[in-house]
Amino acid sequence: MSLVARHLERNGIATVVMGAAKDIVEHAGVPRFLFSDFPLGNSAGKPHEPDTQAFTLDLALKVLESAVGPRTTVQSPLRWADDGDWKLDFSNVARMSPEEVARRRAEFDKVKQVALGQRKQAGVA
Amino acid sequence: MADSHIFAPDHDAPIEYMRRTRDYYLALGYDNPYRWAHYVDAPFQPPTRRLGDSTLALITTAAPFQPDKGDQGPGAAYNAGAKFYTVYSGDTSVDHDTRISHIGYDRKHTTATDSTTWFPLPLMRRFASEGRFKLAPRFHGAPTNRSQRVTLETDAPEILARCRQDQVDAALLVPT
Repeated sequence: MSLVARHLERNGIATVVMGAAKDIVEHAGVPRFLFSDFPLGNSAGKPHEPDTQAFTLDLALKVLESAVGPRTTVQSPLRWADDGDWKLDFSNVARMSPEEVARRRAEFDKVKQVALGQRKQAGVA
Repeated sequence: MADSHIFAPDHDAPIEYMRRTRDYYLALGYDNPYRWAHYVDAPFQPPTRRLGDSTLALITTAAPFQPDKGDQGPGAAYNAGAKFYTVYSGDTSVDHDTRISHIGYDRKHTTATDSTTWFPLPLMRRFASEGRFKLAPRFHGAPTNRSQRVTLETDAPEILARCRQDQVDAALLVPT
């Protein structure tokens, strides 16, 4: 998605990315980025909280209007939870048993096959 | 140091997804790590008109719900079968059922029960009706496959062309 933002921007369309994976978006390098420190899947606010969703969209628009140069990142002040312990869970092998790692490997092998078949069918493999 | 209790815990910082993901796949036995897109510079186009007069487009990585493609509901396991491989567009004046089961979102801490958290179209309609911006007639779906070449050479130019057809001034991109 960062690549799309860069392409639009280079061709005259101002962009703002709303996202939750700070390192990945900043590694790519985008013009404007509103970062919400939330679990992936909640780039546009917290579930079932219209107020935080409106706050997030409003802030993204302000970033779009006011950024003075590229690679502008603004971090939303909203918190997902009182503590940040949820951050320790995502794809964290230190928190997985060897059985869980083996199960995930088997699952990923299956997913890869499905994705490869899909890409071939779509002509992009 | 005695003062350390005044600081937030070290782990309460943005997750280093690239490192976490690399370590994860290495532990699973895959030693061909994904290389994320990386540039040292970034383009910048100052807004050409005030936001209230600008046409704003929504770009999403969410997929249209496809009833024949397996479980895409809240809490569904990663579903590569629900991916899409060409840019799609939708009419912003009506509601759409979009899903994110084809993306590696945080399945432990979020449940994907509220699509506004990844596809804020209804909220954008409201903001547009309040005069914050003009909503482009179409939103656009960007494929998320592992080929950055396809993104750069095919998908991004296609999205640009569609935005130009709609005389879009600015875009809000919401990756999942």
